[in-house]
Amino acid sequence: MGRYNLAPQRVHKTATQLLQTKRAPASPPPWYPILSTVPPSSRLDRPPLQRSQLPGHKPPGGRKKSRLYKPLQLRYEEDRLRWEYFNDHPWELARPRVVLEDDGRDAERWDWSVPLDHALSRPRAGEVGERGESLDIEWEAVRARQAGRPINGEAVVQRQRYLITHGHPPQLAYDTARKEFYRHRHQVEIATRVAREEALAVGAFFGPGPLEVGMGLEDRAYEQWKGWAEKEVAAMKQMAGAAYTGTETESGREGLDVPEGPGVEAEELQEVAGSVPASSRGQLAQGGAGVHP
Amino acid sequence: MIIRSLLLRHGRRALPKPPTPSPVRTCRRSLTTAGASDVEATYQNPHADQHYIESAAGGTKSQAVHSLESRSSPPTIALEDDQIARDWHFFHHQKKHTEHIGSAVQKHYRPHEQVSNPPWPRDITLELLMASQAHIGHSTSLWNPSNAKYIFGVRGEHDPIHIISLDVTAAHLRRACKVVKGVTERGGLILFVGSREGQARIVVRAAELAQGCHLFSKWIPGSITNGQQILGKCRKKVVNEYDQEVTGFDDQLVQKAALKPDLVVCLNPLENYVLLHECGLNNIPTIGIVDTDANPTWVTYPIPANDDSLRSVQLIAGVLGRAGQEGQSARLEKAKRRIVDYRQDHGLSPPSKESEETRTKREKEQSLLAGADAFDVSEAAVYADADADEPERTDVTAEQVVNMERLAQMGSVDPGLLSEQLGLAAEQADVPYEVDAPLGQQRQQRQDEGAAKQVNPFQRPTEDAEQTSAWQGKGAESGRKE
Repeated sequence: MGRYNLAPQRVHKTATQLLQTKRAPASPPPWYPILSTVPPSSRLDRPPLQRSQLPGHKPPGGRKKSRLYKPLQLRYEEDRLRWEYFNDHPWELARPRVVLEDDGRDAERWDWSVPLDHALSRPRAGEVGERGESLDIEWEAVRARQAGRPINGEAVVQRQRYLITHGHPPQLAYDTARKEFYRHRHQVEIATRVAREEALAVGAFFGPGPLEVGMGLEDRAYEQWKGWAEKEVAAMKQMAGAAYTGTETESGREGLDVPEGPGVEAEELQEVAGSVPASSRGQLAQGGAGVHP
Repeated sequence: MIIRSLLLRHGRRALPKPPTPSPVRTCRRSLTTAGASDVEATYQNPHADQHYIESAAGGTKSQAVHSLESRSSPPTIALEDDQIARDWHFFHHQKKHTEHIGSAVQKHYRPHEQVSNPPWPRDITLELLMASQAHIGHSTSLWNPSNAKYIFGVRGEHDPIHIISLDVTAAHLRRACKVVKGVTERGGLILFVGSREGQARIVVRAAELAQGCHLFSKWIPGSITNGQQILGKCRKKVVNEYDQEVTGFDDQLVQKAALKPDLVVCLNPLENYVLLHECGLNNIPTIGIVDTDANPTWVTYPIPANDDSLRSVQLIAGVLGRAGQEGQSARLEKAKRRIVDYRQDHGLSPPSKESEETRTKREKEQSLLAGADAFDVSEAAVYADADADEPERTDVTAEQVVNMERLAQMGSVDPGLLSEQLGLAAEQADVPYEVDAPLGQQRQQRQDEGAAKQVNPFQRPTEDAEQTSAWQGKGAESGRKE
């Protein structure tokens, strides 16, 4: 195969041939035995990855393009639920979310049969359920296991999927999960606000927020521009006044910050104007320091 | 501050001599009046020493003498010991009564542990690979169709990416682990290469575990094909089967070519095409992480995985390093029992017996050199660092003692004893991981293998490891490499 260099796959074969023809050293290299017992896998084969069409089913418009060797599109049931939820709540995507996993089995730890607002529905002490169980102890046992469950948009999707698989109609499942989430989020927001107010009441200072910082920067830029513009206007007025008097005032240009580089250069050129290299008069022996400092 | 440190340094010696004022005290008197009390106030050390210093510095002579007397009496020391014991008991009492309070912290992912304590080959699970993002490939438009068999599917509508099949990844990774272990078990030299940003630490760590070489900067093209020019000046050494250096080969080593690795592990094949090509030219097997945009034919053993995630790369490199560690420890363990079932073609002859005169001369030279090294410590340290950074650690593994072989050739030893030893080596040579073993059959198979060993006791130790592949069941073909 011209395109591919298959030497890496053939190391063992090559070594065997070299050993047989005694072109290599007498004993095989250290990798030789293990490569014969654990050979590399086959390469460059195209396994059929999907069916071209359903068996016994013909596409209406004649023959379809074969997708036999194209990888499958992966779709999951939750995708549709996510699509619906995040279209209804687009700002939920703006909230930061931890996607780091510990050991890959993190998702197994969370029990989605527990409502999302379980933390808020704590039973009164000593309350007894229908089967005679004490509800508050049960609640605490559930909290001990599920307190770390992240309650966010993804939790709504998971809870909804759980409810659908356990017999709820999809719309009811969506509403149930959504409203549990709303209740939880409402409570969190209130708790945050109250905490902030409490902190402010006892003298906390949270510093300027991002909007204040932005406004401050903008104000500073405006002030700078104002100072610059005032100077400009003064200079222009002075120049206009000088134009009618008929006297050259260099002082008027001072405000305009004209760089004086060209003036110096012109002066230096004047000095060497008479000396032109490769002319009939020739070049004066002035040295290059003045021209090329 | 200076005064304080003076006090601390000379306190014991200088201050207890009240009759003649010590230089420290005079200096102190002349320097400070009001500041002294501040200095002493900063010291709230409960030990008697400190009280003593305070009283000597701030108080009068008589107080200093008094405190000296009180300190030298034995009851004070006894009291201190008692206090220490009581503290100790109190600490353990507290520990005992409070250890069940609070929440139990579960084991969780700590990034630094991937380098300091990498997982073993037996710890590879699909969940771990998935948590390490080993399954995430590149955009579908960037794929190399040669990787079709490693791809599980396409995920995403607008910017689709390929998802790598993790069972394939795990299978290839375990296979690569076996190769690394097998090569190190036979004294092979492994080179770990990872030249992307952030890969340096794990590359060095893996090389450290597998006792191989590492390269985290650019591969100098030609280091294998033109090694004599590029690495010719690197130091070579001869080690025996216990990895101890053997001297006396210097004149022979000068003639030797630069070392080549026996196996190359490349964490980013895309950037190291030249290296892999050179390995192909020199018939050196390679292991590489192949993402969906890489070409799997560049390496001998591809590991289809994500090579952009540092966590995934660290997992794979760490596991391979651990496999190398397993192999090295197995080799050294066997060497301890005087079993050397591999040999290398170093082409070195044992150093000739030198005359007494030359030996004394050489020893003298070496001692002089050692003295010079010891004198210039800082420079020596710098050189040592430079050596550590060298991509090619050049050492030749020379097996001088192939006792088993000699014994078998002489035939003067009881064959039963020899076969017993060989069988022992065979059983420990290539033990499959527990997860790979078929349930219930492993033991039976191993017994069969042992029986086959008994029939054929006069095998050369070199082929011994080859025929011990209980896992692959190829024991019958063991003699075919002769």
